[in-house]
Amino acid sequence: MKPYFEKMTEFGNALKKGRIKSTEENLNSIKKIEEDVADEVNRVKLAGFPEEKINARGQMTVWQRLEYLVDPGTWCPLHTLYNPMNNAEGTTNVIDGIGKISGKWSVIIGFDNKVMAGAWLPGQSENILRVTDLSKRLNIPLVWLVNCSGAKLTEQEKFYANRRGAGTPFFRHAELEQMGIPVLAGIYGTNPAGGGYQSISPTILFAHKDCNIAVGGVGIVSGMAPKGEFNLEAAEEIIEKAKQFRAKPPGSVNIHYDETGFFRYVFEDETGVLDGLKDYMKDMPAYHPKFFRVTKPKEPRFPIEDLYRLIPLNPKRVYDFDEVLARLVDSSEHMEFRPDYGPEVYAGLCKINGFLVACIGNRQQYLGRNYPEYADYPGMGGKLYRQGLIKMNEFVTLCGRDRIPVIWLQDSSGLDVGDSAEKAELLGLAQGLVYSIQQTDVPMMLLLLRKGTASAHYLMGGPTANRHNAFTLGTAASEIYVMHGETAAVATYSRRLVKEKEAGRPLKPIIEKMNKLAREYHEKSRPLFCAKNGLVDEILPLCDLRKYLVAFTGAAYQNPKSICPQHHMILPRIIKG
Amino acid sequence: MTQEIVAPLDGKVFQLKINPGDKVEEDEEILVIEAMKMETPIFVPCDGVVREVNVKEGEEVAENDVLAIIDEKHIEV
Repeated sequence: MKPYFEKMTEFGNALKKGRIKSTEENLNSIKKIEEDVADEVNRVKLAGFPEEKINARGQMTVWQRLEYLVDPGTWCPLHTLYNPMNNAEGTTNVIDGIGKISGKWSVIIGFDNKVMAGAWLPGQSENILRVTDLSKRLNIPLVWLVNCSGAKLTEQEKFYANRRGAGTPFFRHAELEQMGIPVLAGIYGTNPAGGGYQSISPTILFAHKDCNIAVGGVGIVSGMAPKGEFNLEAAEEIIEKAKQFRAKPPGSVNIHYDETGFFRYVFEDETGVLDGLKDYMKDMPAYHPKFFRVTKPKEPRFPIEDLYRLIPLNPKRVYDFDEVLARLVDSSEHMEFRPDYGPEVYAGLCKINGFLVACIGNRQQYLGRNYPEYADYPGMGGKLYRQGLIKMNEFVTLCGRDRIPVIWLQDSSGLDVGDSAEKAELLGLAQGLVYSIQQTDVPMMLLLLRKGTASAHYLMGGPTANRHNAFTLGTAASEIYVMHGETAAVATYSRRLVKEKEAGRPLKPIIEKMNKLAREYHEKSRPLFCAKNGLVDEILPLCDLRKYLVAFTGAAYQNPKSICPQHHMILPRIIKG
Repeated sequence: MTQEIVAPLDGKVFQLKINPGDKVEEDEEILVIEAMKMETPIFVPCDGVVREVNVKEGEEVAENDVLAIIDEKHIEV
């Protein structure tokens, strides 16, 4: 399909000096937020014991293990700031992301052994389930660095049980294995109870010589017979048993290598475990990229740093979406789908690292007096109208047919509203898009450039499409809310204002409440809030966006569950006409 | 040569960043129109000098109104 893909239509323009002059403040404001995010990431990295203390014990930290394990330059961390239960530790205590090991994309996750020796914490199981979902969606191996001391017992009620509790990941590991997706585990340290299941549930176990895995650890076997209360005699008994089990914890290598054989390999050194994982990953089944590439990889024709001048931090400011996309895709080339229809939506085929991807985004500009065609008011980009919804329905469906991964680039204030919009069937077309996405079983990801608002956040590949959305990335400009805070304040208090006015009472108290609500909306939609609560999977510096697109695309094409031969694709032919 | 800067849409001048006599550079933002809850920046298409500014901040403008006139910078050979 060389005539279609080798040279597509170039788009975008180099920034002129006037634009550079006008956008200095925007650049500095975005970089300031990115610095704040980086400070938070650093805080997570420094959580718990210092690296030196762990190293002095003869152990590597999870960060050191990851650095040794993952191919240089490929690590794309996710969920770094995720801490939905507001743990005092500032983390869910697992570190995860996508990266290459021995040249193969994999999802990688490890317990932070600096924090309570890798204990289960509130919010952790939800974090792990996001990771197992990611492995399932991309159909790529999951690699664990297990080092889990069990549960933080003083907060067990927050995570031990429930539908998505701490045991659910064991079922997810089994589900991945059912699907033919291997789960590899390098095992370090003491892993009792929950840590034992974290260790035993993967497919192949690579053990460090000093590790142990067990149904119950020292703490449990020291005091398993409740007597109703503790007294001095009981305390002495506990001390004696604890000493005995500490000297020889249950489930060590001599049991689970020599006796049960659960450990496939045992390694003398910490790095030996990681070398074992690397060696297995080398032999992991994966398509060579040449099988699916449509051309040689090429960088965009414009510097990615331009994004700091092209994406306005001000959510009300209009910008040129096409110029943004031109900084992200190979050679700044594309094949646009139906450019003369649904102008508020960009849909097109692009290339990332030589692979074909579908990109869908919100154009922002004024759409003219004659659009939308069903209304007597003009349209503004960022909103969705009838044609844009129809276009996305068609495009997504064809992507499913042609097996093309989809990258959504969202910045939407929502759907058009009012009776003319209702008559134009927007509600039905919107849910139709949900149906089209559900029908389209290909990996998708969302890059939330700026606003994720109203139902548009669901419809345009947001994380609520959680069978399809592999992950969602945010930027310093991202904000997510059901509606703008001021709109919400009006919706909440407008009747009350009328009532107070008619009763002759002062309006000031209501106005104060309205301002308070609007402020809360602002605070609870900021990038750090979104990352902490999992509304996005990571907040990225703009200059790192393409790196993640490369990771997503490479992973999506590594082990696809179905294939459309390039010469059988219909979408490029429809675009060409 | 002069360049007329026209309003691309109906709206209100939200920010005005130029005065007559100012030097401007190609693609520089010279004013912002607020309409439909959004702010649309207006850029100059060329290097030049502002000859006329026909609007004030807060003023309503209609699509195709001439907002400003720029004397295009001469290229000296």
